Amino acid sequence: MSAVAQARPLAGFRLHPRPRTTELALLALVAVTLAVGGASLGATQQLREATRTGVELSALDFTPPDAQGLLVYLGALITVHLAFVLAGRRTDQVLFPVAAMLGGIGLLLMQRLPQELVTQSFGSAELGLGQLQLAWLLVALTVITVLALFVRSDAWLRTYKYTWAAVGIGLLLLVFVLGSEVNGARLSLSVGPISGQPSELLKVILVVFLAGYLSENRALLADESTRIGPLSLPPLPYLAPMVAMWAIALGIVVVQRDLGAALLFFAVFLGLLYIATGRPSYVIGGLVLFVAGAFVLYNLFGHVQARVDNWLDPWADPQGAGFQVVQALYAFGRGGILGVGLGAGLPLIGGRLPVPAVHSDYPLAALGEELGLVGLLAILGLYLVLVTRGLRIAAAGHDEFRSLLAAGLALVIGVQAFIIAAGNLKLIPLTGITLPFISYGGSSLLANALVVGLLLALSDRGSEPPPAPRDPRRPFRRFRLGRARA
Amino acid sequence: MDGFLIILWLVRIAFLVLIYGFLFAVVRVLLRDLRAASRGPAELGRLVVLASPRGEPQPGASYPLDAVTHLGRDVNNGIVLDDPFASAEHAVLTYRGRNWYIEDLDSTNGTYVNGVPVEGLGPLGFGDEVQVGEIRFRLDRGHG
Repeated sequence: MSAVAQARPLAGFRLHPRPRTTELALLALVAVTLAVGGASLGATQQLREATRTGVELSALDFTPPDAQGLLVYLGALITVHLAFVLAGRRTDQVLFPVAAMLGGIGLLLMQRLPQELVTQSFGSAELGLGQLQLAWLLVALTVITVLALFVRSDAWLRTYKYTWAAVGIGLLLLVFVLGSEVNGARLSLSVGPISGQPSELLKVILVVFLAGYLSENRALLADESTRIGPLSLPPLPYLAPMVAMWAIALGIVVVQRDLGAALLFFAVFLGLLYIATGRPSYVIGGLVLFVAGAFVLYNLFGHVQARVDNWLDPWADPQGAGFQVVQALYAFGRGGILGVGLGAGLPLIGGRLPVPAVHSDYPLAALGEELGLVGLLAILGLYLVLVTRGLRIAAAGHDEFRSLLAAGLALVIGVQAFIIAAGNLKLIPLTGITLPFISYGGSSLLANALVVGLLLALSDRGSEPPPAPRDPRRPFRRFRLGRARA
Repeated sequence: MDGFLIILWLVRIAFLVLIYGFLFAVVRVLLRDLRAASRGPAELGRLVVLASPRGEPQPGASYPLDAVTHLGRDVNNGIVLDDPFASAEHAVLTYRGRNWYIEDLDSTNGTYVNGVPVEGLGPLGFGDEVQVGEIRFRLDRGHG
């Protein structure tokens, strides 16, 4: 092997370091914020312990409960940033810090909740809630980095959209057959020690499929050609495959009793259809369908009925079915404007947490109690920023597929955050769905990492300006000139 | 009131303030980006007519340039040159990457940049003078 070949082990992969000052500054702010939050959490927890045991207050300090975990997370953020800088792609600099901030707040929350809420042992090591969340966050950061650095072409998404759709449906069927049942819903698939919720992955696949299909048939769908009485419909043959895909996904999800995912799919489907065609009639028709479907579901399924009744009047059974909803509302009330402080909320009631699903379905209730209305609004603002940024990337997209994909991914995050936030606040019936980046859970974190990584890849404004034009007609001009001069 | 509790309260509030600080920093970046986008794409460059004895193009006129602009006597060119020494398709200006290039389209009497004849394709910097026949241009930076 020659020395030249050894010197370039990765032909075709060259480093073009390009500073990302905005991202670095925002990440520095994230680090400071999380450090202060950790200090606040640590001091509050020590204070609670001290008042119980009667230790002098002067013996307390501001060490975070899991300083090591926090440092690992911050170190991982800087590593990702350095990888972005070295690769030198001109991708968005805001998305990653915002996602990192939300993930960090989620990590603080998981470190603050009782660690025995979720435990998993690997060999002799027993990991608690905070450590597991940290591990999943690190995996999610890896996914973001890989996608943002190496996804350059979108052909592998665009070309194989039906394959992706089939993979998604297959995953769901697999869950339906082999999945394990939790709380009356067959959601998760267990492979060895690792279990996941494929419906989280399915939301990304659905957006890829819809973006691919709509970008190809947008003009046809926006065209009014079929008329049934006063209704003007788009050409039905072009609408059919998409509606079929949507109906299959929705049907399986309903059978699995995953109402949150069904709601999410429906909203994203309607949103993308509207973005692609610009026809309000689709949205109106979709809403009519939604009302009709909801009515049918309410009358057919007992668990839907229970959810809705529970939403309308949780105080009918405050110790039983309505317990969680009522306690979440009390938690928001206790929080008030400024909150009681990280670590000071969620008093145990009769030895158990007031909100049992606080780490997956109700993180917003805990944050609302401890950070108050002010903190809650800031967190919702962060989601708003993510959505705005995603739509901005969509508006700047090179072609329709990239635009629709970016818009759909932004919608997924926004709609999901809205559904669970509104559910927690009793604005709509609660549906079991995670709060993106904050909730505990590997599937949720990985799916949202996919979303952010794809958005970053889509936001690339072209790494290098194109080379100078070649002179096509006289390729050997220089050569001839040199000979003439010689 | 214990000092520890006061500091703890301050740290608590500082955490909230920092989240908002982050949010405002992000929003500032977004607004800056949106303003830059709303100004529209910046002009790539302008061609200012320095001398034109026959009045077509008008002396003193300045043309905003597209990424590819053709010069020549034919009326289909982006900039029409009324000059007996200009060919029907005389030269083309192209913008690639961050640079302008000029290419002589095998014209009869040639194209000159700063008095030097263009051989096929050559780079063109801002401030350079282009001469076709008796017409002289200068390439300027675009507005905005």
